Amino acid sequence: MTPTAASAEPAAARPTRRQALAHGTAATLAAARALAPALFAGCSLGIPPRARTVPVGLLHSQTGPLAISATSLRDAQIFACEEINAAGGVLGRTIDITAPDPKSRLDLFQRRAKALLDAGSVAVFGCWTSSSRKAVVPLFEERDRLLYYAVQYEGNESSRNVVYGGMVPNQQIVPALDWLVGPEGGNRRKIYLLGSDYIYPRTAHYVAKRYLATKGLKPVGEAYHPIGHSDFTAEVKRISASGADCVLNTINGDSNVGFFAALAAARIDPVKTPVLSTSIGEDELRSLLPDQVRGHYAASCYFQSLPTEANRRWIGDFRREFGFDRMTGDPMEPGYCLVHLWKKAAEKAGSFETAAIRQVLAEGLEFAGPGGLVRLDPATQHCHHWFRLGRIRPDRQFDIVQESSAPIPPDPYPEFAFPGWKCDWTKGGLERGPEVTIDG
Amino acid sequence: MNEGLLSPDGWYWLYEVPPQRLSLLFIGVFVGFYWIGAIVFRPILRQFVRDTAGSNDIVGYVLSCFCVFYGLLLGLIAVTAYQNVSDAGANVAREAAALSALYEDVSQYPDPHGQNLRWLLRDYTRYVIKYAWPLQKRGIVPEEGTIRAEAFHDRLLEFQPQTPAQEIIHAEALRQFNTFLEWRRLRLFSVKSSLPATMWYVMILGAILNMAICWLFDMRFVTQLVLGGILAAYLGTMMHLVFDMNQPFRGDVSITAEPFEVLYQRMNDA
Repeated sequence: MTPTAASAEPAAARPTRRQALAHGTAATLAAARALAPALFAGCSLGIPPRARTVPVGLLHSQTGPLAISATSLRDAQIFACEEINAAGGVLGRTIDITAPDPKSRLDLFQRRAKALLDAGSVAVFGCWTSSSRKAVVPLFEERDRLLYYAVQYEGNESSRNVVYGGMVPNQQIVPALDWLVGPEGGNRRKIYLLGSDYIYPRTAHYVAKRYLATKGLKPVGEAYHPIGHSDFTAEVKRISASGADCVLNTINGDSNVGFFAALAAARIDPVKTPVLSTSIGEDELRSLLPDQVRGHYAASCYFQSLPTEANRRWIGDFRREFGFDRMTGDPMEPGYCLVHLWKKAAEKAGSFETAAIRQVLAEGLEFAGPGGLVRLDPATQHCHHWFRLGRIRPDRQFDIVQESSAPIPPDPYPEFAFPGWKCDWTKGGLERGPEVTIDG
Repeated sequence: MNEGLLSPDGWYWLYEVPPQRLSLLFIGVFVGFYWIGAIVFRPILRQFVRDTAGSNDIVGYVLSCFCVFYGLLLGLIAVTAYQNVSDAGANVAREAAALSALYEDVSQYPDPHGQNLRWLLRDYTRYVIKYAWPLQKRGIVPEEGTIRAEAFHDRLLEFQPQTPAQEIIHAEALRQFNTFLEWRRLRLFSVKSSLPATMWYVMILGAILNMAICWLFDMRFVTQLVLGGILAAYLGTMMHLVFDMNQPFRGDVSITAEPFEVLYQRMNDA
């Protein structure tokens, strides 16, 4: 390190500073040129390019009275998103899921939906009750974005900004009533209508009453209870007193536990007075004691016990991801299919923009789901659905006792219930008929 | 990337560089700085000591004094950063352990309560592995785990014990849940924990001064480049080490989700 040795060298043998600098610079550049490809090959500064993502919102209650059912729907849609991501994403983008919790509260549904749209979610899959859907639809209309709604509902609605993945009454309640009043269902004539107190049960019952009227029948009773209501002892007494030979049950959520418990306590025989439910699936059955529900019925588009290879594979894949004891049911299956339909639409459109997607929707879309082929009806933006009727087994599964011969086309405005009303988005949109008043 | 450079987190894109390349990048920057400084600044700085007798001895003495302080500082900072990573790792392991104990507790509940609670805990664990960890690796505090913890809490409070045995299990589950929440919060707090900016300024300034003092040595130019380059390379390596440990969930020396992965596997095998 001392200068003595260097200064002892003959001046002629030492390179000048200028020469040293020139040689050093040349050597550095040569080294940089040689090393650069190895260091930074394939990417700038060796940094892997950030994965391009597309934001998607899942608006399902994860707390509150409807959480158990809605959480399963959320999981089915997360599963679909993950499947899509594993296969390369949508239009080369990975789906970035945001799943806030509206806590089963209408005001929070609006706020969370707004936050999702503000954050740029190109598609929002969500809502469970019709009240929650109706609370957010104006927001989607105002921003011209699309809401993908997977749950069966009452119909009597057609928004250009909603893609409806669930069943409407002409696909669920009407065939269920046909079965009940037909010989296979025991030629029932005294039907009691029981539901939770909100839009879906009230409108569904209105459709049921109008349909029964076309057959010259009238319900022997009708009752509504708030969501979360649990003591049905008095109601069951009223059902018995009415002489009903069957109950059409549109109760949603945990209230079913109280209802079936009261029914069992009153020793109502499911053979003599079966309950046909529209909002009970495998997930809800877990909360109900098998002895209390065995032999009753549920109407749906999908049951876990559906004996097809596609269904078995789907259940296996879902359980591998979410747990060996997880159930699948309606609306998990339509919810799952909706995500895939959205993917297909975006890819066909080559864009995530609403206008481009809508153009594709107008041409119709299909997806081979676990429950069979799902077809989106371009006229109504609703899906064609199989009708399936299941009898509850002791193992909390369903024996499928009735199945439609083909998927039933959707009709959100059946003529017998909403005369003059029609919806065809390919031909001018909604055609309004006389105002219909729906009450209890 | 360029937009990010101006923001406070501007340099965190470096965590996305593969570790070997990052190490080379740090060494390259430090050695490059030293060499450029040796060419540009050395002639100017040498003016101050050129005519001083025994200047190399003086510079050597100053450098050794400086290195003691700087070495101490660098060592302490490296230890602090490692301790931070180590503590965060322990918190993660404790959170997973509390979650495991909670899962065992709720497994004793009658169905469907027990099943619902087990599903919710599995959902939480899955979320932590699949979604929270990648966010933490980007320095983002994951938010949706809170929703899942709340959902579990709500369901837990819905359970009404019917027997003295159930009362004991329920009380234990509630206690375990609080323990779990405590560790969970500590994990979230540590996502953004890092060395204060001041420490980085002091470290970087120290490294620059270290190299500047070396420029003052009177020696052959090539020798200056080689010896100074070696010192700069080691400084770069040290900086890389501290940078890697700066945030517990980022970089090559970071905490993995392994405790949760093991737990999730066990939950699914049960």
